[in-house]
Amino acid sequence: MTDASGPVLELAGPRPAPIIEADRLVKRYGPRVALRGVSFTIAPREVVGLLGPNGSGKSTLLRLITGYLAPSGGTARVDGLDVVSESIEVRRRVGYVPEDAPLYEWMRVSEFLDFMARIKGLGGVAARCAASGVAEQLALGPVMRLLIGKLSRGYRQRVAIAQALLCDPRVLIFDEPTNALDAFQVVAVRELIRSLAGSRTILVASHVLSEIEKVASRVMILVEGRLLTDDALREVKGPSRLRLRVGGESQQVVACLRSVPGVAAAVCNERGTYLITAEPGQNIAPGVAASVSRMGLPLEELATVAPDLESVFLDLAARQALPDRVAA
Amino acid sequence: MKVFAALVRKEEQALFTSPIAYVVLTVFLLLMGYSFCLTLFMTHVSDLVHLFFQIFVMFLLTIPVITMRLVAEERNLRTLETLLSAPVSETQIVLAKYVASLSLVVLMLVLSLSYAIVLAIFGEPDWGPIYSGYLGLLLLGAALVAAGLTASCIARNQVVAALLSLSIFLLLWIIDQFGYILPDPFNALVVNLSLSVHFKPFVTGSLYLSDAGYFISIALLGIFLSVWALARR
Repeated sequence: MTDASGPVLELAGPRPAPIIEADRLVKRYGPRVALRGVSFTIAPREVVGLLGPNGSGKSTLLRLITGYLAPSGGTARVDGLDVVSESIEVRRRVGYVPEDAPLYEWMRVSEFLDFMARIKGLGGVAARCAASGVAEQLALGPVMRLLIGKLSRGYRQRVAIAQALLCDPRVLIFDEPTNALDAFQVVAVRELIRSLAGSRTILVASHVLSEIEKVASRVMILVEGRLLTDDALREVKGPSRLRLRVGGESQQVVACLRSVPGVAAAVCNERGTYLITAEPGQNIAPGVAASVSRMGLPLEELATVAPDLESVFLDLAARQALPDRVAA
Repeated sequence: MKVFAALVRKEEQALFTSPIAYVVLTVFLLLMGYSFCLTLFMTHVSDLVHLFFQIFVMFLLTIPVITMRLVAEERNLRTLETLLSAPVSETQIVLAKYVASLSLVVLMLVLSLSYAIVLAIFGEPDWGPIYSGYLGLLLLGAALVAAGLTASCIARNQVVAALLSLSIFLLLWIIDQFGYILPDPFNALVVNLSLSVHFKPFVTGSLYLSDAGYFISIALLGIFLSVWALARR
């Protein structure tokens, strides 16, 4: 028999030190600011998705973490190493697959993997063994003697992933890994990323929401250089919202929603459709219906919406892009 | 060192899988062969002074073609991102590109030794100016490759890189002419920046440390600026 009324025991061990840490990262390209104070941490063996529209700064953020670019402000650390002052050591720990797999097209696949293994510090026999090991893992056997320039996009992507896996890095970073691939190739790459998870930390950037949703256990959302959330999936599991479709001027709707106690925020997603978030523990549906009726606005729809990643993303992106449209 | 060797091998492979190296070598050998025969049959003098000046001009015109793609192409095709995701430093990358490009220049000079061999078989040349001339050409090539590499690191486009280095080379070739119209002490400064002023003594068999120092300084400055430009990305 156990004593159920006894003190609650802390069964979880101490939290492991993060393997990737970004602290107020800023990147400027001349007058243009690509990243505006981005901070987050990633624990070892986490699979994290970085979601954001094109031009939101995802690739810049990944390039800062891999040491390819230097930040204009803030710091980033990988495995406790600073990405600027200890860039070479950071690159030993990171396998990076850049967007669109930029590879040497005049090299054969075997030559390229051998070359990458050598510049990652492996000697002759070890380099050949490592190259053939990753080639086997990624089923590159049939194309090892072909020029990279002759490969299909799917195979090119696999070669890019293979070079990232050389020397068994602790962290794998993928930038838009399914870009321009056909449906079969997308599934194959997704399965591959899933198979690599578990023993490694993986950071995947994409603008395709469904891709991120299928591979990541945590999703960060980056819009216009700002990290809007470092765990969008937590918000998905959060309280449901109301979708209100109503006629009338937006000022009237705003005034109507302001008068309802318990409304935390409302975002106008499209003309006349509002996504309303309640304060914790509040049931606002009757209040909203009553307020709309009292103001004489034509009510078309009032429904509870279980949040999904898409709605969370659109909600956050709308708040970022159109802060003046946030009603309450 | 193994990493550096792998980088040099990759650069040499890149150089010799593109048609540029073969076109440059072919044009160089055709023009120099024609020039050597013409000079020899007209002057009946067994030296290579005239040929060395021809090679000097050929280097000014061909080295921009050799160096233009080194970094500009990698940046344009974004392979630099893949390369720099590996634990290699900018210095290693620049030095590997420099060594590989200089090896093509050295190959051009080695092939031109056939003219000296012809002179040795059919005449009695004075070997002193030939040795010093080759040393001068080697130093000139080392300086020009470094300057061309810098242009390739700065420019995003290969054609711009080639035009930039060609402009710098032509300016440094004729800059001593401006010395005559400038007042003292600027005239001496400008004259001492000239490639041809520092190259001429080598061809005539006169070796001065100042001339060698000039070419070595350009080479070191070019390598330093290339590393700086690459790290500034």
